[in-house]
Amino acid sequence: MNRIVAIAWNTFREAVRNKILYSLLFFAVLIIVSALAIGDLTLHEEVRTIRDIGLFGIDIFGVIIAIFVGVNLLYKELDLKTVYTILPKPLWRWEFVLGKWLGILLTLAVQMVVMGAVLGTVLAVEGAKFDVATAKAVWLLFINVMLVTSIAVFFSSFSSPFLSGFFSLGCFVVGRSVPDIRALGAKAVPGAKRILDLFCDVIPNLHLFYPSGSIVGAEEVSVHRQFVGADYMLTTTAYGVAYSVVVLVFAMLIFRKRDFV
Amino acid sequence: MAPMSDIVLRADRLAKTFHLGFFRKRVEAVTDASFDVRRGEVFGYLGPNGSGKTTTLKMLMGLVFPSRGRAEVLGRGVPNRQAKRRLGYLPESPYFYEYLSPEEFLDLAGALSDVPRRERRKRADGLITRVGLDHARGRPLRKFSKGMLQRIGIAQALMGDPELVVLDEPMTGLDPIGRKEIRDLMLELKREGRTVLYSTHILPDVELTCDRVAMIFAGRIRNVGPLSELLTARLLSTEVCLRHGVGQVPTLPQGGKLRESPDGLLVDLPEGSDVDAFLRVALTANCSVTSVTPRRESLEDLFVREAGSQKGTS
Repeated sequence: MNRIVAIAWNTFREAVRNKILYSLLFFAVLIIVSALAIGDLTLHEEVRTIRDIGLFGIDIFGVIIAIFVGVNLLYKELDLKTVYTILPKPLWRWEFVLGKWLGILLTLAVQMVVMGAVLGTVLAVEGAKFDVATAKAVWLLFINVMLVTSIAVFFSSFSSPFLSGFFSLGCFVVGRSVPDIRALGAKAVPGAKRILDLFCDVIPNLHLFYPSGSIVGAEEVSVHRQFVGADYMLTTTAYGVAYSVVVLVFAMLIFRKRDFV
Repeated sequence: MAPMSDIVLRADRLAKTFHLGFFRKRVEAVTDASFDVRRGEVFGYLGPNGSGKTTTLKMLMGLVFPSRGRAEVLGRGVPNRQAKRRLGYLPESPYFYEYLSPEEFLDLAGALSDVPRRERRKRADGLITRVGLDHARGRPLRKFSKGMLQRIGIAQALMGDPELVVLDEPMTGLDPIGRKEIRDLMLELKREGRTVLYSTHILPDVELTCDRVAMIFAGRIRNVGPLSELLTARLLSTEVCLRHGVGQVPTLPQGGKLRESPDGLLVDLPEGSDVDAFLRVALTANCSVTSVTPRRESLEDLFVREAGSQKGTS
């Protein structure tokens, strides 16, 4: 366990000493704060606008940072050959991958807390609260980011950063569009429908983590009115964690068989 | 043959074939590497660039999987976590986490080697002093010179207090003083009872440090054993140095060579020449003899001879 913690802590340390990450975080904060100005342009919808733009900023920048960090941190170990010094230590290869993933996750958790705190402050300026619904939405976005990180780590365990980033982003876009793909399948011929359904069953359903505005059960949920309940939070979190674990196990299996030339 | 308990590392017919590029072109990096390293010795693994030294060491460290053969380290098949706990490794041209200070880096190396936290701090402190990096404490590794990186690399290899230390080209990029320091350190490790295996193509260092060597050429081991056994004891030639412009240089025996040097005229008398007779004639002709040096086979001669015969067979 100590070895995994040591790798995770070192990964976190590497990420927080990376200036590019601060630039991304700065832009995320800028977007959330700009919601104040945009909110002022609306008619009595300031809080709604701030919450929407804030959550959008946390979502998009969370994913961008997850892909950037997830793709780069593992690849850099191979590219800069630091892995040659680490793997001959009494450490299993899966411990190394898990440690990297946990370190990236810790980095992202801190980023999410910072972005959430900025959103809370902006809401407070408008006299609104960072309520339970907003907290739930941020938590779901964090699970989303965790899953995207696992996918990025999986791809970077065998391909270049460019391809890993491209595939990870592709998975995010397709995963967010699962309801649209299913709707497309419903209108298609039976054979195509079956293929599209199977496709939607296999790829991560990332739409689950951004439910505001969609129908859950029989009701429309919204972060501004009635948001998802505890059972939804629990099952969606479990889905995200389980999917991440499976992807991570595949990454570990690939990493286990790799020659470090 | 050494008893099994004395063998700390064994490569048994190790081979590695890589499949490179889109067309999976076969490249045989190592075709047959077999040698043993015995407890308490300094073992040199020699070979020219691209001969397969690093690939062999990577197979022994579990970084590359052999295509054929078997590797054993400290009595266990590679890779084995228990064996790794008693092993320290410095990769070739090492890259480390450049954002870390030496203290942070050694602490990480210690944590990964299962060294308790309090002990880590003490060991890191001692090792930084031992490798002469006291002046660089707190400085990020990105600001280290190549020699300093090599030293911190050796320090990280020693963090787990290993029985066996494997160093891949530890002298590369070092100035003469740095090379001497690393040589001294290896001999110090030997005195402490540790076993050292290192790869190199810098032959003078090998003659000064190694008890036994293995030579690899084009992926195949050619010689394994103590240097004294590998180098033939026979006289190759005798070099006679005569002072410039003094006396008449005698006629050279068949195969003899004459060349100028700043020290004087150098006469190279081949194996089997009558050196006494040549010296008598030279002294009679009023020559001034400043030195007579018998030349036996050096490691470099052996290396060049083996490399040449390898080229001949390939």
